Amino acid sequence: MSRYRHLLKKIGWSAFTILFVLILNFFLFRVLPGDPVKSGTHDPRLKKETQEALRVRFGLDKQVINCFETLNPIKLGKCDLNPFDTQFFIYLRNLTRGELGFSFHTNRPVADILVERLWNTILLIGAGQVLAIIAGMVLGIFAAWKTRTSVDYGALITGLVAWSLPTFWLGILLLFWGSNNGFPIGGRVTPGTSSYPFSYQVGDIAKHMILPTLTYTIVYMGEYLLIMRSSLMDVLSEDYILTAKAKGLSAFQILKDHALKNAMLPIVTIVAINLGFTVAGAIQIETVFSWPGLGGAVFEAINRRDYPVLQGVFLLIAVSVVIANLIADLTYAYLDPRVQTE
Amino acid sequence: MAVQTVELKPSTGSLSRPSSWTTLGKNRIGLVGLIMLVAAVVVAVFASVLAPYDPKTSEGITSSDIYQRPSSAHLLGTDDAGKDVLSSFIYGSRVSLIVGFFAAFISIVIGGIIGIVAGFYGGRLENILMRFTDTMLVIPDLPLIIVIVALTKPSLLNIIFVIGLLGWTTTARLVRSQTLAVKSRKFVLRARAIGAGNWHIIQHHILPLVLPLLVVNAILVISLAILEESTLSFLGLGDPTVISWGQMLNFAFGRGAMSAGAWWALVAPGFGIVWIVLALTLLGHGLEQVLNPRLESHHLMPGRPAVQQEAMLGISARSSRNPKPVVLDIQNLSIHYISEDKPPARAVENVSFQLHEGELMGLVGESGCGKTTLMMALMKLLPAAGQIVNGKVLFNNQDLTAMSEEEIADVRWSAISIIFQGAMNALNPVRTVGEQIAEAIKKHVAIYHEAQVDERVSELLELVGIAEEHKDHFPHQYSGGMRQRAMIAMALACSPQVVIADEPTTALDVMIQAQILELLDDLRKKLGLAIIFVTHDLGVVAEMCDSVLVMYGGVTAEYASVDTIYNAPRHPYTQELLKAFPDLSKPEKRLSSIPGYPPKLDALPVGCRFAPRCPLAFERCFIEMPALHSLNGGDHIASCHLVEN
Repeated sequence: MSRYRHLLKKIGWSAFTILFVLILNFFLFRVLPGDPVKSGTHDPRLKKETQEALRVRFGLDKQVINCFETLNPIKLGKCDLNPFDTQFFIYLRNLTRGELGFSFHTNRPVADILVERLWNTILLIGAGQVLAIIAGMVLGIFAAWKTRTSVDYGALITGLVAWSLPTFWLGILLLFWGSNNGFPIGGRVTPGTSSYPFSYQVGDIAKHMILPTLTYTIVYMGEYLLIMRSSLMDVLSEDYILTAKAKGLSAFQILKDHALKNAMLPIVTIVAINLGFTVAGAIQIETVFSWPGLGGAVFEAINRRDYPVLQGVFLLIAVSVVIANLIADLTYAYLDPRVQTE
Repeated sequence: MAVQTVELKPSTGSLSRPSSWTTLGKNRIGLVGLIMLVAAVVVAVFASVLAPYDPKTSEGITSSDIYQRPSSAHLLGTDDAGKDVLSSFIYGSRVSLIVGFFAAFISIVIGGIIGIVAGFYGGRLENILMRFTDTMLVIPDLPLIIVIVALTKPSLLNIIFVIGLLGWTTTARLVRSQTLAVKSRKFVLRARAIGAGNWHIIQHHILPLVLPLLVVNAILVISLAILEESTLSFLGLGDPTVISWGQMLNFAFGRGAMSAGAWWALVAPGFGIVWIVLALTLLGHGLEQVLNPRLESHHLMPGRPAVQQEAMLGISARSSRNPKPVVLDIQNLSIHYISEDKPPARAVENVSFQLHEGELMGLVGESGCGKTTLMMALMKLLPAAGQIVNGKVLFNNQDLTAMSEEEIADVRWSAISIIFQGAMNALNPVRTVGEQIAEAIKKHVAIYHEAQVDERVSELLELVGIAEEHKDHFPHQYSGGMRQRAMIAMALACSPQVVIADEPTTALDVMIQAQILELLDDLRKKLGLAIIFVTHDLGVVAEMCDSVLVMYGGVTAEYASVDTIYNAPRHPYTQELLKAFPDLSKPEKRLSSIPGYPPKLDALPVGCRFAPRCPLAFERCFIEMPALHSLNGGDHIASCHLVEN
């Protein structure tokens, strides 16, 4: 019973956070100055009718929310309006239909752009995360096991240095090195190869992925290493490890059967919390390697002041991170028998 | 990037130790970080003096100056505008440090206030604040910062505010848990009891203990802020009017440094960022160790090999009172704890005893007298600092101290097993009790099939009175008494000849204690086990044991049969110990305690270790350590000058 209550509580909280993100996303783009829709609709060079048409197109003819005409500067409006005929509720209604507006730059639906790019980001982040987790954990395990030896100090310094590297700079260095050593200079595929056989294309994508994935792995490996090391050190000084040793189990058996599961619990949480930072890393890596993912979309949207795209990406990222956290919480509850009966 | 490593455990113990600076001095990682940071600050402050050119003017620069290789005129070459990279690099340190420090300052103040208020006032306020913090923690920082900066004017001030206003979440959580820990401490409760106001308590009692933690956290928040600023600048969202490292990289990357092969324009600015962030990371790591000193040791570290010296102080136990064969023969065992900067702590010295088949030996003495150390040494389970410096542990005439790690692994549990004190921690919380018992069987009794192992586990649990259906439960689903009984079942799993019971009933209520002791005694009679029973409870010893070893300060005070110990003790410590213990047969007896404390292992007295507390001590006791004296032909041993002759 209590397990379901735990589950419901977590889901409820995540729903609340998502709602908060939705509201934040709406008001952020209306409160802050510099909204090009507004400046566009007030451009004196445009005809009155064109301005009005633009306002209708972007839904600006409607009142923002009941009682408020506009939010910046705050201008009071009518309160007896139908609440469903305000910008805020139209925004929410559109969201439920998966509509995120239109790109200023290409005039395409933002949702289409995001879907197209989402998979590229997932591919990159997925490969990078898996490698970073494996490398970080293996090094972390060795560091903790061989504590106070040169293996440990070496791993610790490696972890701290990797942690301190700005992602984009490491990307630049690797790209600089790679472009002189036969690696592709960014992008996802070699242009003009779309008619080549499938196996060639897969290999081509893989080749383009090597450097961005490597950047990703190095930067995030450091953190997993440090966490795994300290978590495992804590577990290995627990009494039940001494029991296992007294039972005559070998160091390998103790690590495998008694230490790792317990030590990995924090990693589960970290992976999810990291997803937010992971996205930050993806923005930088995709920018450097011209990888056509969500992060690249952010960079392009900034340069083109393409706010609907920026808004859409932010929403997608924030909601994914909230959901990832929920999944991590549930995984944790599944892995740790103590949570279920709390 | 990583915020999680920032989170220290709330510690309340050794926060304001005077030796913090000396500890940091010894902490090489922290020291290197500090030096690197000071160097960066010096460069930033004296930028105008150090920079060979003024990066703000483009006077005298021609198009031929673009992307010039490093030379004597331009040590780090020139950039896309033909300006000196070194000069821009030096000036760039200012922006990083300014943004880092001011943004972190904002974050720390907000996080500190929210954390202290939430932790101190508690209740609904805490609930709301922490919910808000959790919500903000989940929303990814950098995308939000990018959105806000993109929508507002990208000035340095805006960047500082945006980074600062979004970076407080981890600080708030950290400060809250620290405040909670401090709040319930005695001096705060006392201050409240004498009528101190909330503000007074926060200012004088909470803040001083939260502050050190806040400083460590601040260092990491600064490094995150610096990384965020450089990312913003690299993405083209930096303040266009100032030179920053991120912006230098943005220009170089966006304006052809790659294709021009101008590595210097790409390497230098990034190096600066790494320098400062690494400095802060190392300093933070070092300070964390100072604040939260952790024993960097664990149970998988290799033990120190046993060494043998000449046999010390002559005699060893050769008891003839028990006709059964000897299973365990401990001869002149000495154990030291070795540390780098201190002389070794002589935890156990020259202890000898013999354990016969089916014998129950009591091991008594105050806490810290070396009982557990001695028991751990029998199975070579000493912590990494512990070393057997002399003596032998003969099990069926095999010396266990001379065995390799692989050899001893076979002896552990199958020949000698331990019932640990505090079975809650001695059982792995994430594996079922049944699995943990089965594991020992599979390790040592290889011939069993899966089904046989399963049957054996049920049988063992039944033996200690635990129903079979609890086999697949986790330790936290057991009661305290059940866990201890499960531990006993586990100890018996491989039919050992010797079981060490290290205070098996501490922290259990009296009824359960009695049950467990009865169970142990039963099993001994049924299975012919030899048991070493470590305890403080002299009543239990009198009732159950055959022989008794009394230890004091790491040495044998007295070793004899239980009758001799109770009726004719010769060592003053044994005598005092018995006086401190109620005897139901002599209800009129006055109880007396022994004044003082056992000696600390790193400050042992020169003479007899008990002399400072001994009512019978005379001059010689303070100068000369008494030898072990054999009485009744080896059946009774005591280390006291008074029993000489």
